[in-house]
Amino acid sequence: MRIVGLDVGSTTVKAVLQENGAVRWRDYQRHNTHQAEKVLEFLARMEAEWRLEPGRDRVVLTGSGAGLIAPLVGGRLVQEVVAVAAAVEHLHPAVRFVSEIGGEDMKTIFFTATEAGRGKQIYMQAACSGGTGTFIEKTARKLRIAPEALQAMSYAGRTLHKISSKCGIFAETDANSLLKSGVPVEEIVASLYEAVVYQNLATLTKGNTPMPEVLLLGGPNCFFRGLQEAWRQHLGLLWAERGVALPAGATPETLITVPQDGLYYGALGCVQVALGEAAEGAGTYAGRERLAWWVAEGQHEAKAKEGGAALGGDAAALAAFRARYGTIQAPRPARRAAHDGPVLLGSDFGSTTAKAVALSTEGEVLHTAYAPSRGNPIEDAKALLREVRQAGFTKIGGLALTGYGKDLLRGILGADEAVVETVAHARAAIEVFPDAEVICDVGGTDVKIMMLRQGTVADFRLNSQCSSGNGAFLQGVAERYGIALEEYADKAFAARAMPALAMGCGVFLQSDIVNQQRKGWAAEEIMAALAAVLPQNVWIYAGQLNNLRAAGRRFVLQGGTHRNLAVVKAQVDFITARVPDAEIRVHPHAGEAGALGAALTLRDAWHPGLRSRFRGFDAVEALDYRATTTEDTVCRWCTVNCKRSFIDVRLPGAAGRPWSKVPLDPGWERVIAGNSCPKGLLEDANEMRAVKAAMEESQGASPNLGAVVRDEAFRAVGLAG
Amino acid sequence: MKCAAAHFGELMFGLKRKVDVLFVPLIYSLPSVLRGHAVDSLACPRVMAGPEMARAGFLREKDLFAEAGIRYVAPFVTFAEPALLPRQLHEALEGMLPGLTPAETEAAVAAGLAALERFDAGLRRRSREVLARAAAADSPVILVLARPYHMDPGIGHEIENDLQARGYPILWGQHLPTDADLMDWLFGEEVAAGLVRSPFDISDVWPSSYSANTNEILWGAKVAARLPWITGVVRLTSYECGMDQPTFTPVQGIVEHSGTLFFSFQELDATKPAGSVKIRVETIAHYLERASPGIIARKRALLPAACPLTPATAQPAEL
Repeated sequence: MRIVGLDVGSTTVKAVLQENGAVRWRDYQRHNTHQAEKVLEFLARMEAEWRLEPGRDRVVLTGSGAGLIAPLVGGRLVQEVVAVAAAVEHLHPAVRFVSEIGGEDMKTIFFTATEAGRGKQIYMQAACSGGTGTFIEKTARKLRIAPEALQAMSYAGRTLHKISSKCGIFAETDANSLLKSGVPVEEIVASLYEAVVYQNLATLTKGNTPMPEVLLLGGPNCFFRGLQEAWRQHLGLLWAERGVALPAGATPETLITVPQDGLYYGALGCVQVALGEAAEGAGTYAGRERLAWWVAEGQHEAKAKEGGAALGGDAAALAAFRARYGTIQAPRPARRAAHDGPVLLGSDFGSTTAKAVALSTEGEVLHTAYAPSRGNPIEDAKALLREVRQAGFTKIGGLALTGYGKDLLRGILGADEAVVETVAHARAAIEVFPDAEVICDVGGTDVKIMMLRQGTVADFRLNSQCSSGNGAFLQGVAERYGIALEEYADKAFAARAMPALAMGCGVFLQSDIVNQQRKGWAAEEIMAALAAVLPQNVWIYAGQLNNLRAAGRRFVLQGGTHRNLAVVKAQVDFITARVPDAEIRVHPHAGEAGALGAALTLRDAWHPGLRSRFRGFDAVEALDYRATTTEDTVCRWCTVNCKRSFIDVRLPGAAGRPWSKVPLDPGWERVIAGNSCPKGLLEDANEMRAVKAAMEESQGASPNLGAVVRDEAFRAVGLAG
Repeated sequence: MKCAAAHFGELMFGLKRKVDVLFVPLIYSLPSVLRGHAVDSLACPRVMAGPEMARAGFLREKDLFAEAGIRYVAPFVTFAEPALLPRQLHEALEGMLPGLTPAETEAAVAAGLAALERFDAGLRRRSREVLARAAAADSPVILVLARPYHMDPGIGHEIENDLQARGYPILWGQHLPTDADLMDWLFGEEVAAGLVRSPFDISDVWPSSYSANTNEILWGAKVAARLPWITGVVRLTSYECGMDQPTFTPVQGIVEHSGTLFFSFQELDATKPAGSVKIRVETIAHYLERASPGIIARKRALLPAACPLTPATAQPAEL
């Protein structure tokens, strides 16, 4: 008799076939949301290669996708942690603590010796991405680290930085800002491993001490060398701190093991469970027929019952939509042979891309340029300006910056204006829609909603703490399906039905997607559903605007995410359902609206005699800089102790900072990044005193009555007697 | 309400020094500059009943006040009717302060109200000084329209400090000057035309004027719309406040009617949304810097030439 153990996880299927106590066949593959298909394929191969036989052999399944598949193949279902524990008990009798980290979940198992054998205490969490494989991979993707490179990156000895361990989304933001302040990716990845171990220990030990010996299981623990090092470091410290006696001659290195076949423990555990049960018990393999039927027909029937209408609507509605919005995006301006006059350059240094728009002094868009953000603002600026220069625009009449990098780069590039994001976006919107009332900008990592009154931004909602409505999430899902962003809309419109996804936290949305996959919804259907849920996340969840009508009637959709027609369709449907007479326009330069707005703001104040402060292409190209992030750059103004980075740029005439802890020679200018409040822009006490005096002076001249109330109404008064 | 429950817990279990009495008055009505001009000046019902709701939480399973040896004293008080205050307080306090006489209570109430008046008058005077300086220099001032609790750094996050740091003096609606000369300059023509009964009459914009703080926000909006040097209004709201909801549109409409810029921070989070605040402060500063001179000039042209805030130019005849 052969026993098959199948572990159907959120990203991969793992299978082992065992006969007479020996593993004869095993495989491990990503299923790309087609769990049932992959299992069917594996079973067929086992039948062909190892004579797996219905009615005789047994199949035991575990994993998040097993519940659906097990009854279709006559399989016995085993809970994931039970399966892993069974394998560990069989293979590693001395192990007292197991950490198994999966793609979207994590588990710990504590084994304790009891009179009745070994007791097990099991903890698992699958509701949040913090501490899971997704947490690492999501951020690594963002940092553009190839999987092989990620696996080889080390932890030991690296400088660590604060990265939120609680949520994958926050972590990604932290990693991004570390990168922007010049922290090397190796240190960021090491910090990620630190966060993962911290999160696992913080949430999944519940007061227990992980005792040696320790086993690390699951993809991330098996593949990432740095993560293993982080475990060894932390458990070693923990054991020393809590006085855990290690066996003679043993070190944390020898007591924490990562088995070669650590990926297969779920599947191996299934086999162990089967071996412990009577042969005639549940789990006799029923063959592939019903699973094949499910793949071919059953899943479609099931989801048709619960699915929503197509995102595109019927053919006529989609055609009407395409006619109205399909060609709204301005084509990239044709490259001109020559443009003699000066150009006004607007640059938007955003979280995922740096963009530039070259404007003629008459306001005509001459050129748009992109450079994917590599996280180092100076390198991004160099790349962007190089592109502008190569396009033939060499006479710069003025330079305006916007986006997160604007303050940092202003002095270094010699920009004439640093325009706050909201103003830039509003300026761009007003250019195409002079009486716009609501601007919805959905960018890479944040969602901005701006309410305009009298041509100014009167109300503003920024959602930078939650990814649920942003474009990166959409992009991430498309990437996971291997679909280019340009093809997103066509794929989504092709879906004839779509599942209903739950509005809300991106992490929950992610697990909801896994659930829908499990029900058999295909990539394009889920992509349609994701586009459909985006407006809810943007307006209600992130923007907290329940009454859209009150916000206005004239809407402008901006930001790169609105280049995606599927999103535009969902937005139009969502807005018109609430504001039937709404006028909705997509900005013709949706992706570059920020850069365009900066250029337009510059143009508002520009006149032919104006001399730009721009240092020139050669000077920027030749910018020499170095970034320092050490203990000496940590901000000490408050207990938060932000890990700042000093980016020192060689600039002729700069005064240098000989007095600094990180001294700077004359001819160098320091830009401080990574601080979370304006105080951190000051390096030391002398600088602080001067700035404080200036601040107090300005406060004297312009008092704040609220502060006076705070001081005087809550002043402690001594009582007589 | 959210604050009260936590405060109770902290006072009962968090302090090293033991508390004998928890004094939590149920404030029914408030003193208000608009008293007599509006329908009433009541406290928000949540303010009045909030302590009782918090208290209920400590009585659910057992009497935690009794267990902690704390006397809970919650008199019903009507600040808008100060004549009733001594009796309301005496009844509540005589049990815990043996020998307390009605006359002593009356004297204490009088001293307290006088101190409050001095405090308010001082702040109104300082606001006027700020406005006089702005008028002399034709420079802009920002007015905050919010509930008094927004002055608490934990609730209002001191957002206005960041604007102040950019050189804008900050006034709060609660402490605007109310001097007759200034009121006459701003509202005199409307009173004379019979459009309103007094400078403090808000019945033209807010007929159901029962709530003291709401009334003052509406009145502050009217002042902001008229005073030339208030070029920007910052509105703060929190806690999905039911009293604030219906005021959003009228307050904004009143302020913007005269071209004054209006910026709203709705539903301020419990944690300081630092990134968003920074962007918004920069946004406000950007627009104020560009628009203020025009706003001042346009609003100034609508008012009588002689301005009480700049007496030197206002009364050339006396020189």
